[in-house]
Amino acid sequence: MSAPATPAAPITATGTASRNVAGQAIAITVFSTIRPLVNLLAPIPGRIFLPLLFFLTRSFPKLTGTLRQLSFIHFARWCVISELPYNGPPQRKGKLRYQHMYFESNFNGGWEEYIDAFSHILARGMTAFWGTSYGFPKPLPTAPFKRYIQDNEVEADHYYSAYPEATSTMIQRAIVLDAKLDALKRDAAKLEPEAFAAAYRRFLTDVQHCL
Amino acid sequence: MAMGTKANVSGQAYAFMAMTPVRPGEEDALSTYLRGLYAAGPSPFERLPRTHLARFVIVPDFHNDRSWKQRREEHLDVHYLIFTSNLDGDLDSYLDELCRELAPEAEQIWGRCIGCPEQASGDALKRYLKHNQIDTGIFFAAYPDATTTKVKRSLRNREQMIEFARTSQGLDAAALQQRFLREFGDGS
Amino acid sequence: MADAPPRLDLGDIQGDILRGYGNDYDSTTYAFVRIDCAPEQARAWFAGVVEHVTSATPWPAGEKPLTTLNVAVTAAGLSKLGVSDAVVGSFSHEFRDGMATRSTLLGDTGPSDPRSWETGLGGGEGHVLLTINAMAPADHQRALAKMRAAMDAAGGLTIVHQEDTALLKDSREHFGYSDGFAQPAIEGSSDDKARGGGVPLKDGAWRALAPGEFILGYPDEDTRVDPQRRLPNAPADPLGKSGTYMVWRKLYQDVARWRRVMRDAAALYPDGDEQKLTAKAVGRWPNGAPLVHYPDAPPDDYDPKTARDANDFRYDGDKDGMTCPLGAHIRRSNPRDALGFEGHLSFRHRMIRRGMPYGTPLGENVLEDDGTDRGLIFVSFQASISRQFEGVQVQWLNAGNIFGLGHDKDFILGDPAGVGTGKMTIQGRPPFFLTPQELFVRTRGGEYLFVPGMTALAALAEGTAG
Repeated sequence: MSAPATPAAPITATGTASRNVAGQAIAITVFSTIRPLVNLLAPIPGRIFLPLLFFLTRSFPKLTGTLRQLSFIHFARWCVISELPYNGPPQRKGKLRYQHMYFESNFNGGWEEYIDAFSHILARGMTAFWGTSYGFPKPLPTAPFKRYIQDNEVEADHYYSAYPEATSTMIQRAIVLDAKLDALKRDAAKLEPEAFAAAYRRFLTDVQHCL
Repeated sequence: MAMGTKANVSGQAYAFMAMTPVRPGEEDALSTYLRGLYAAGPSPFERLPRTHLARFVIVPDFHNDRSWKQRREEHLDVHYLIFTSNLDGDLDSYLDELCRELAPEAEQIWGRCIGCPEQASGDALKRYLKHNQIDTGIFFAAYPDATTTKVKRSLRNREQMIEFARTSQGLDAAALQQRFLREFGDGS
Repeated sequence: MADAPPRLDLGDIQGDILRGYGNDYDSTTYAFVRIDCAPEQARAWFAGVVEHVTSATPWPAGEKPLTTLNVAVTAAGLSKLGVSDAVVGSFSHEFRDGMATRSTLLGDTGPSDPRSWETGLGGGEGHVLLTINAMAPADHQRALAKMRAAMDAAGGLTIVHQEDTALLKDSREHFGYSDGFAQPAIEGSSDDKARGGGVPLKDGAWRALAPGEFILGYPDEDTRVDPQRRLPNAPADPLGKSGTYMVWRKLYQDVARWRRVMRDAAALYPDGDEQKLTAKAVGRWPNGAPLVHYPDAPPDDYDPKTARDANDFRYDGDKDGMTCPLGAHIRRSNPRDALGFEGHLSFRHRMIRRGMPYGTPLGENVLEDDGTDRGLIFVSFQASISRQFEGVQVQWLNAGNIFGLGHDKDFILGDPAGVGTGKMTIQGRPPFFLTPQELFVRTRGGEYLFVPGMTALAALAEGTAG
């Protein structure tokens, strides 16, 4: 019985419209309206709080540490929009009445599982970012939070990935593997067979989590 | 928006976003065109190899929250087209490539937006996109130093090593070394 | 901080869900009934069935019934019993769609494709599932005869699929593994099983799961953190309360090939023999002892139903999978604390499992298939089919990314996309690789069902379910 050809990649990008899916990657795009005034969730006005939060997050990478630990995100971004660039009529000129927050992410796994992770694990972060937006319920319980995200989510019309069947974790580990493989390659021809075999076993032990 | 462009960068990765107003009456045509791109063939971004992940999203309006204390509604004046790309390296040269390689598509996409130059290509289109650029507040990149080339090569090597590792179990040292050199060379 | 745990109305919940009936009931028949008569007639028959359904009320000592009876219905079955479209619409969409339509998602393709499923399964013909458990063959036969007589008397009812199953020696399944003893700990019902069966908390403690994760009408894990204490989504009353969703799947097991493959793979395995290698793929030894506690050899005379350490373990001392591989079957199906964050990525994906092996065992040491149909009737109970059953199948068994395993799938269940299993890494110094294989397990059929509570059953029978 011969081994079959390369097994099919799994289907894990569930729980979202098919236009938001590119292979293993899901696109999520969320717009929310930022509250201008002080309230209980954000004692600092949204107009000041978010830019401040953004600055702090950039300056102190530890704040995004948990994001990094949840290694199923390729790229994500948050922006605050106060005014749209003007291109002439019939576009309306001038600052927007409210500031708006734009969030997008490219991640692996199911939509439900992704929001659950944010809900349970990044509760503080979620409140920090979206606590200044209208309609934001607390991140827990998950059901109202999911509804909030769904209400504010916009479906992609075209979503592209240069490597659709690769997950972010696979890529991160493949990069680590590459570096160690280069080192092994350099030694490969120079060593006696037994020494090479030992080096290869050490290498495999070292990179098994990358395979 | 007034935070400067450093926030658009992480490692060698750049987060570009352009938000352009759609000409009233052309929303459906634009939407249909974008949604039909995959049916017509591979994504046009295949021709922009410095692109990791990109998307086109049409935003018809802001979501106004009724259940909260949002006293006044706000509505977008027209539909807006959002284009975001997570790309490698320098923005200017990327936009040059985009405005050259994707000129046919640009006609159908930004050509339907207010203020787009008559010829939706080259420097004029690039100026239009930069005019409508929205700066990022926070940009998270899981592998900020890896270009798409590096990513693809690493993924290929991983596949190759998986195959090698599982099929060379039980080989003696000499056979193992020979096979390894044949498959992977010696790094020179 | 927490409310007092809700008192479970055991008299209103069907039996064998919160607590299994026990291994004294060593034979089970699953009979899928098709209703071809008008709803009034069907309900008359159904009322007769409902009279004998076993609830979760504990039996007085020494008074176990000779047989038990439980009932479940498919979405089509609800309509056949006269439930309105509006009420059927209040059930979850995956239940209404049916398991066969979810085949791409579940990986039921290739040899497991619903087009090849056995008669009566997945095609909308199964309306009511009757489950009969018995302690002795004579009683079992009597119960079956009664069931058939009632159907014949009513008319317009046919059994479109029937599976007669029996426990194997030592409660093993066909690959030789002790099964069924690892279940979730449920607040108010099995708090004694919290160590190992519940949610792993910081500093080594455990707590039982909210009953609403398994029985509708009760608070679930989300309700715990909701200031408004909203109960989870459930079908419209009276059907929702005390009910649950059921997953039923007939899984064929190619025992001969499993044995051959593991024997061949073990020839190259440097760290042990075939039994050890197989234990690495599963996560437990055949007698149920977990690798985490017994990394090198199984203990003698081990009864996982009574052994304290059968379920009381975590993976925090084995983060790199050197003891229990990261992709081992039990680690995939219940990661416990392995995904980090105090189990918060896994605690809402638990299932109660009550399946039975079917078919006569393949003789010991036989390596050639004898053409007998054998395998597992997989049965699970959960409040949400999509979050609990499908989530596990899709993200944890048919894929490996969340465990850092790339595209590797569960080695036992394989790649149900019909192409093959993919590799499995047995972590070690150095690691060992199991190579891709054709499927060992194939889906022969299945259904999504709803298990109404006792009051709901009565309402269904009377036609007052809405």
